[in-house]
Amino acid sequence: MSRLLVVDDEANIRLLYSEELKDEGYDVVTAASSAEAIEKLQLGAFDLAVLDIKLKNESGIELLQKLVKERHDMPVILCSAFSCYKDDFSAWLADGYVVKSGDLTELKQEIARVLAKKAQKLKADV
Amino acid sequence: MERECCWDREVIELADCPEIGAGEEDLLVSKRQRNLDKCSDCHRFLTDLARLSDENNPLAPILTDLLAEFRHQKTQIQSLVSFLDNKTLEIRFLHELGYVLQSSVDLDEVLSVALTAITAGKGFGMNRAFLLLCDREDGLLKGYLGLGPRNLEEASRVWNEIIQSDMDLQTLAQNFRLNKLSSERAKFHDVLEQLTVPLSNKDHILVKTLDGKRPVLVEGAFQHPDVPPELARLLGVDAFLAMPLISRNRRVGMIIADNCITHRTITEEDMHSLETFSFPVAFAIERASLYDKLHVELERVTEAGKKLKEQQELIVRMENMALVGRITSSIAHSVRNPLMIIGGFARSMLKNSPATDSRRTFIESIVAETRQLEGVLDEILNYSDSLYPTRDFWDVNQLVETALHDTADVLTAHGYATFYSPGIDLPHVYIDFKQLSNCVRTVLHNDITGIGADRSISINSQCGDDCVILTIEDRSRHISQAELDHLLVPFSETRELGAGLGLALCKTMLEKQGIPFVAEAEAFDGIRYTITLPTRKEEQT
Repeated sequence: MSRLLVVDDEANIRLLYSEELKDEGYDVVTAASSAEAIEKLQLGAFDLAVLDIKLKNESGIELLQKLVKERHDMPVILCSAFSCYKDDFSAWLADGYVVKSGDLTELKQEIARVLAKKAQKLKADV
Repeated sequence: MERECCWDREVIELADCPEIGAGEEDLLVSKRQRNLDKCSDCHRFLTDLARLSDENNPLAPILTDLLAEFRHQKTQIQSLVSFLDNKTLEIRFLHELGYVLQSSVDLDEVLSVALTAITAGKGFGMNRAFLLLCDREDGLLKGYLGLGPRNLEEASRVWNEIIQSDMDLQTLAQNFRLNKLSSERAKFHDVLEQLTVPLSNKDHILVKTLDGKRPVLVEGAFQHPDVPPELARLLGVDAFLAMPLISRNRRVGMIIADNCITHRTITEEDMHSLETFSFPVAFAIERASLYDKLHVELERVTEAGKKLKEQQELIVRMENMALVGRITSSIAHSVRNPLMIIGGFARSMLKNSPATDSRRTFIESIVAETRQLEGVLDEILNYSDSLYPTRDFWDVNQLVETALHDTADVLTAHGYATFYSPGIDLPHVYIDFKQLSNCVRTVLHNDITGIGADRSISINSQCGDDCVILTIEDRSRHISQAELDHLLVPFSETRELGAGLGLALCKTMLEKQGIPFVAEAEAFDGIRYTITLPTRKEEQT
């Protein structure tokens, strides 16, 4: 079972993601801030992180940069409320990019795609 | 003693003195002046003096000595007067030349004046002159301009023309600059090409002369040990003058002058006169060159100032953009998150409720409404994003291929085939890449909502006049031109047609960039979109 870390400052969104992704068969852990995310990452490994681009008083991009630097083997999918962030060069560090929507189909497809790609890469490395 | 000469008479007749000519009648009544001016050269006076000597007059030898000394002094005075006259002419000439040289900052004008002065009969009267300039960047002494006839026939014709026109030096130089500069340059092109010498070749006579900063009069050029045989052959003369042009101790260039037609001997006097002339010429050439450079720098500074102004305007616009960006970002988060939560949980509830649950209809309504609101939010955000296009030059073929790649999955899923005919060697188009990509994707997405049997989309790019024309033909949609026009009006009621704000937004975005967006129905078996993309910046409105 793949283990996902969901980082979003909105409690209801964390709940929604958690419920929906658990239904998809993932083990989901949530965090409300960068600090909490880093804390959870220190406690255990994750296969993928779903990260909101705009956290309350901090930037998700900064957390993304930190994750890419320190956890380069863990893919990250960015979620945002506005598609313009797709053009931010820093956002290109992420493995996937999804505009937030009540229909989570795109997010689920993106998670499956990124995980499959990661598995393929691991297989190739072995 | 009988006197033959009239030296002792106060008043004489014209026939009395063989030395007095027409126009000298005042000497007839002025004995003293006549004695001083004429008697010393008059044979009658000399005869009288001889007779006086024959008569053993003691004054005779003294008078003879005085006369000899007087004649000697007179010759010297005449020589000095002649010398002074020549110098006066030379000073006048240099004054005229200096005035022209000092008043011009045009390099070609300066060079025309310089070479005309050297070769004109009213100037230094040399037959031919070449001007070589120092190219410091390439480290070369390069042949730049030549002036003079190439043969006797041409010389006769040109010199006759000059004599007949009787032009002063300045007019001659102007005439040369306006009518002959290019032709003379072409005429001596071969010679000028071969007159190029690397400044590092310190043993070459021209470089040596330049470094020595003193003119050199070369005689016996064909046998001269310091003159390379190819240089002697090239000039085809046995004697020439190499005069360095030095300004403020800097090597500016060199003038080579010769008498290739008349073969008149070049004298030391010629060399010294030309040397005097070389200083203002060198200074004028350097000043004109510096003026040219200054002009180039001024243009650069003006251009930089223009760019700076553009940048300032851009900064102001970017501040506006940043403000709009902050507002839209704030709206996006304030509205998107609640919408997402409502829609997401509604879907979740729908998924987990049994098919018989009576509340499913309400939940489905919530899902549908939130979906529509999300769509409207997307369009509003995209619209605000389109307010400030960022344009640059882009490859339209690359843009279309990227858009096709981005939409490939969706198009394939709907059973669509796309055909792209990219234009060959298309110029880059001046557009906002992101916005045009968005428009092309919107048009493609819009097309897949069609219901026709022919599920194919043809895209074509071709070169037009200062533009690239991009056409997208969709044969799956069959609507009237009126309905299509309605689709192009923002916020009109078009949901039932399946397109919403998409096409209207595309039209608005492109028109903001001055790009015409034409959608035609009926005339085709489907819809044809034509987007005319400018290839020039100034085409923008």
